[in-house]
Amino acid sequence: MKDSQINIMNHSFAILDNRRTTLLQDERTVKLSERVKKIREKAIHHLSLLMKTAHENLLENGIEVILADDAEKAADIIYQLVKNEAIVAKSKSNTAGEIGLTDYLEKNGVDVLETDLGDRIVQFDPESKPSHPIGPASHLDMVKIANIVSKKFDIEVKAEPRAILDVVKADILEKLGHCRVGITGANSVAAEDGSLLMVHNEGNISLLSMLDTHIILVGIDKLVPTLEDAISVVKLETIYATGKTVPAYMNVISSPSKTADIEQILLKDMYGAKRVIAVLLDNGRRKALEGGGECLWCIGCGSCVVTCPVYNALGPEFGYLRHLGGRGVVLSRFIKDMDVCIDSGLFSCTLCGQCSLECPVEVPTSEMIEKLRRESVKGGISPTEHRKIKDNIKRKRSPFTDSARS
Amino acid sequence: MIYFRGCVAREKLQKVAMATEEILKEAGIDYQLLDNEGCCGSVLLRTGFQEDALKIMLETLKDIGEEKVLVSCAGCYRAFKKDYPEILGKEVDVVHTSQLFADLIKEGKIQPHVTEERVTYHDPCHLGRHMGEYQAPRQVLEETAILVEMDRNRQRSRCCGAGGGVKSAFPETSHKIARMRLEDAEKTGAELLVTCCPFCILNLQSAEEDGKVSSRVQFSTAGEDSVDVVAIAADEDVVDVVAIAADEDVVDVVATADVVRGTNVGLVKDGEITGKRMRIIDLSQFLQNRLEMKLTKRLGTEVDKEVGT
Repeated sequence: MKDSQINIMNHSFAILDNRRTTLLQDERTVKLSERVKKIREKAIHHLSLLMKTAHENLLENGIEVILADDAEKAADIIYQLVKNEAIVAKSKSNTAGEIGLTDYLEKNGVDVLETDLGDRIVQFDPESKPSHPIGPASHLDMVKIANIVSKKFDIEVKAEPRAILDVVKADILEKLGHCRVGITGANSVAAEDGSLLMVHNEGNISLLSMLDTHIILVGIDKLVPTLEDAISVVKLETIYATGKTVPAYMNVISSPSKTADIEQILLKDMYGAKRVIAVLLDNGRRKALEGGGECLWCIGCGSCVVTCPVYNALGPEFGYLRHLGGRGVVLSRFIKDMDVCIDSGLFSCTLCGQCSLECPVEVPTSEMIEKLRRESVKGGISPTEHRKIKDNIKRKRSPFTDSARS
Repeated sequence: MIYFRGCVAREKLQKVAMATEEILKEAGIDYQLLDNEGCCGSVLLRTGFQEDALKIMLETLKDIGEEKVLVSCAGCYRAFKKDYPEILGKEVDVVHTSQLFADLIKEGKIQPHVTEERVTYHDPCHLGRHMGEYQAPRQVLEETAILVEMDRNRQRSRCCGAGGGVKSAFPETSHKIARMRLEDAEKTGAELLVTCCPFCILNLQSAEEDGKVSSRVQFSTAGEDSVDVVAIAADEDVVDVVAIAADEDVVDVVATADVVRGTNVGLVKDGEITGKRMRIIDLSQFLQNRLEMKLTKRLGTEVDKEVGT
């Protein structure tokens, strides 16, 4: 990411950080954090059991369930479901980013309509990568966005937020009319209720859930026992991600559209989706349970990257795909392998510990990074400079090559 | 008590160790330095060399024995206080210089000179966030000067960028982060940035010296008079060095850029001096300076008396 974009990103982050200061100190937020931390820790601890429960209850509710072991399989499963479509509509989803869904579908001839404004803008800009899980266009300023949109539509769009919104929205709505499939993520999944909970501010997920088929791609780490737990999770996520206590919308999907208004006879296909398909993605998550399950506690608020010194310096280069920052680096070890983990920034973390302090569920990222560094060093991989320092210390009890001992 | 200087104060920023020893002498505290002082193991632990770290830590533990240990470095402090018990199962009686200094002032064993100078303080991660010591260094500063906090302080203090082996493996990333921290410091209006970790100082100072990171260039005090030496930047490269008087009027070109690539820094943009110089020093240096001021004043008074009689 260019320095100018990083500066804009940090400026956006500073505004966000200011906006949430008071709310984060509110006693109710503190209590909610404590509750959610327990929910998340317990859920990850009992993940296998929750998966079984979720699978049964989703099916029971009439939702089709497909388990996907890895990114490639998940992308292909979704492609097989939509291959006859010319275009599908999609909401913001970090899990879709993780499996490279948009690229995969477009490469195979299915157009993807990003319906989140920030995502759509980033989609128009070939040079951009999303810079925050909730605010993907945080690194672009208004003038740059207006330029991107002007170029895309070959018209003069004023560098003014309403003008930009109107142009992008009109185009999305026009194209949405041609879509029969909506693809969304889910922020939390209630295993005992067989319900998927998603939050949004724009209303786009509501629109997508009314198309013929609603595909919900969700990591298995998003499971919690009950809908009440799920709501606690997304409320906390909203507070930390946006500085507001609730999002504009929370959609709970527990079944395809149905009615029983005529003699209690169950009829499907009223207004909403005829088919709801939940694609549950593993992609290294169960492997993570063995050596770093703490990174699965994450509720996706992005708070960790807002004040991360390394992220503030490097942007999304520090992290793995949409799993931004140090926690994403850790997860990449399990999604992919140690090489990818190193490329994602295993040795770029200063271990300052700010992220864990900012994290509402206290994911111990620097501890996990230290642990993975030990694994990497054991496997013979570490930065050359670090090896030099190690040799110096062993040889002369000092890390420095160029200084005299006194 | 052993004064364990740590690698940076021992070999790179000797002024920190010297200042600390001066303070110990002034306070009349018995201490010893180790012959062939070793390594606390921190850098190895943080970069994944666990087995090597264990060996090094055991050697150092042997050197220390059951003695109390005074450390200058936040990294050493965390290692002795947290990692030794956790990894080796051995408690080390360790105290950080900032904690000792605060106690010495409180007990009246040293009486530093008090001024109205505005100083800001950077919390080293290893001392603050990792170990919870936020107050001791602030106590020292508040007793002797006016402490102006950065927006991000204590728990939320921004890392200087040096930690975790990043400075050695990715110096540019380290410098970028250090620059952000320096900007935090500049916003306070203070001209003196005090911290108590030699690693932080090294990184913050070298970021200041690296003109390519931003439009910042060096300038250093020219002798005892009120003339400063400033490097003027053109397109972020140091091209010229001029002496400026206190009113910031350029008076003369005195040297080429390379000559003053040094300690203090000013911000020069489009030929205009827009920033104030930011000096970055250790708490020990700050305190020793205050003790010297006191001494000068005391001697001055005595001399006056003699002249008077």
